[in-house]
Amino acid sequence: MSTESNTSYLLLFRGTNWHRDLSPEEIQTVMNQWRGWFDRLTEQGKAKAGQPLMNEGKIVSGKNGRVVADGPFAESKEAIGGYFLLQVNSLDEAVAIAKDCRGLAYGATVEVRPVAPECPLAENARQAATQERFAHAGA
Amino acid sequence: MVEHLFRHEAGKMISTLTRLFGIGHLNLAEDVVQEALARALQTWPYYGIPRNPSAWITQVAKNLALDLIRRDKVFRNKEIEIANFMEPPNSARSESLSLDGEIKDDRLRMMFVCCHPVVPQEAQVALALKTLCGFSPAEIGRAFLTSEAAIAKRLTRARQKIRGARIPFEIPAGREISQRLDGVLQTLYQLFNEGYKASGGEKLIREELCHEAIRLAALLAEHPAGNQPRTHALLALMLLNGARLLTRIDGAGNILRLQDQDRADWNGPMIARGFFHLAQSAAGDELNEYHLQAGIAACHCAAKDYPSTDWPQILSLYDRLTELNDSPVVALNRAVAVANVHGPRAGIEAVESIRHREKLNSYYLLYAVLGEFEMQLNHHQAAAGYFRESLKRADIASEQMFLSKRLRACEEQNPHADEVRNVRSSVRSSVSASPAQRQ
Repeated sequence: MSTESNTSYLLLFRGTNWHRDLSPEEIQTVMNQWRGWFDRLTEQGKAKAGQPLMNEGKIVSGKNGRVVADGPFAESKEAIGGYFLLQVNSLDEAVAIAKDCRGLAYGATVEVRPVAPECPLAENARQAATQERFAHAGA
Repeated sequence: MVEHLFRHEAGKMISTLTRLFGIGHLNLAEDVVQEALARALQTWPYYGIPRNPSAWITQVAKNLALDLIRRDKVFRNKEIEIANFMEPPNSARSESLSLDGEIKDDRLRMMFVCCHPVVPQEAQVALALKTLCGFSPAEIGRAFLTSEAAIAKRLTRARQKIRGARIPFEIPAGREISQRLDGVLQTLYQLFNEGYKASGGEKLIREELCHEAIRLAALLAEHPAGNQPRTHALLALMLLNGARLLTRIDGAGNILRLQDQDRADWNGPMIARGFFHLAQSAAGDELNEYHLQAGIAACHCAAKDYPSTDWPQILSLYDRLTELNDSPVVALNRAVAVANVHGPRAGIEAVESIRHREKLNSYYLLYAVLGEFEMQLNHHQAAAGYFRESLKRADIASEQMFLSKRLRACEEQNPHADEVRNVRSSVRSSVSASPAQRQ
């Protein structure tokens, strides 16, 4: 396994209704702060990606995906509204960044999840499979 | 990005969408605009601010509105009209200009609706702030020292009144305009005063109320329907007072009297605009309270320092103002002008002869003014008594701080200073006062 340094972390922003009661003035302020935050992290090389999610969407469930329902994404405390992909040295650092989220003050939550690194065993298996395929191709 | 952009875009969009949806659906217009701004909050942090933020917000609001009317059969017969607005023909310059004019008209229509006589007076200001200036009920509550819930209730009642009375969403014409314009001016004046008065509410929000009142009055003044001498007079009075708004309080939150303010900090461009509109206000032959108040403010703005203030001119304006308005508060202000022209004793007499003076009994400034007059007469004990009375009735910290300081100034004089002075003047001794007493 790799050391902890420079691992990817995903910040998942939960809550798609926290901004409903803000005034236009507050929305502008929060938007500017949030944007500044993301820009800064990008400049520092700590944010690799980040995108908002649309409020529309479906939830597929049941065997063979028989149930397709409209997701409760628009007005939900739980739904994910967007994400940042971070490249930082430790979970602590990722958590520290999450604490700067401007939505927290209004009831949004941030979930911090390390992106799993590939297991060395899986890597070996993949290489073996590739070699075998080449061997067949050459035959 | 422009300061207050979202707030002002909200004001524009709500007015225009209200015209399209009908005044009965004012709520809906507000919701659509809120949603459009929320979309900006969701996406701009990631993708950056669009080159034309206003156009982006407008477009999103239009799309949301279009979705909404397609879903809701209430709007079925309006779909074509609304769709036409939503997708204006790819426009030559003249068309975009006329669209701009149309949006201004919408805001004026909204002003006349908010200030319609069927809407209770106290709700008019709140409604104007909500629909035209994009303030939230919480912000309005903070400005008026009221709860968000109380404001929300006020707004709901106002919307019901508007719907119930079927107030048309239009700029009144003909004979009606004059009377209705007075209502609008009165509400804008009240809005400005809410922001200007030193007492109550959060400071930052109050400044913004003044600026919003000025913005709306300017919009009114440049529109043919509102371009009247009295509109210019109101605008002049707001500008000439608003220019001095920030210098009334120092960095530590202390009230600064006119003579203690740094005139270099007065807002020059606002004063210049104020004088411009004061000149415009003189166009007709009417003279109302706004003219006189603007004239008084102009005297202060024109003086390069406190001693060179033209008090006789100010007094003559107050004399005319008291003819038009018998408010005891105006008369109290006049007494200050009297004292500056004829001395503190004349000032006290002017206070004593105020009609309905009893209405001022709970007003802290009555006692503060009398305290100042007595102080100028070196009646320190009497002055201290008035400042104590004033202090009892002052509500906010900066006022209390100011009055305590004035009280201390009286008390720091020897408590028996009056008697000592009498004795001293009869003895005519120059060595009787110790350094401690002199302080």
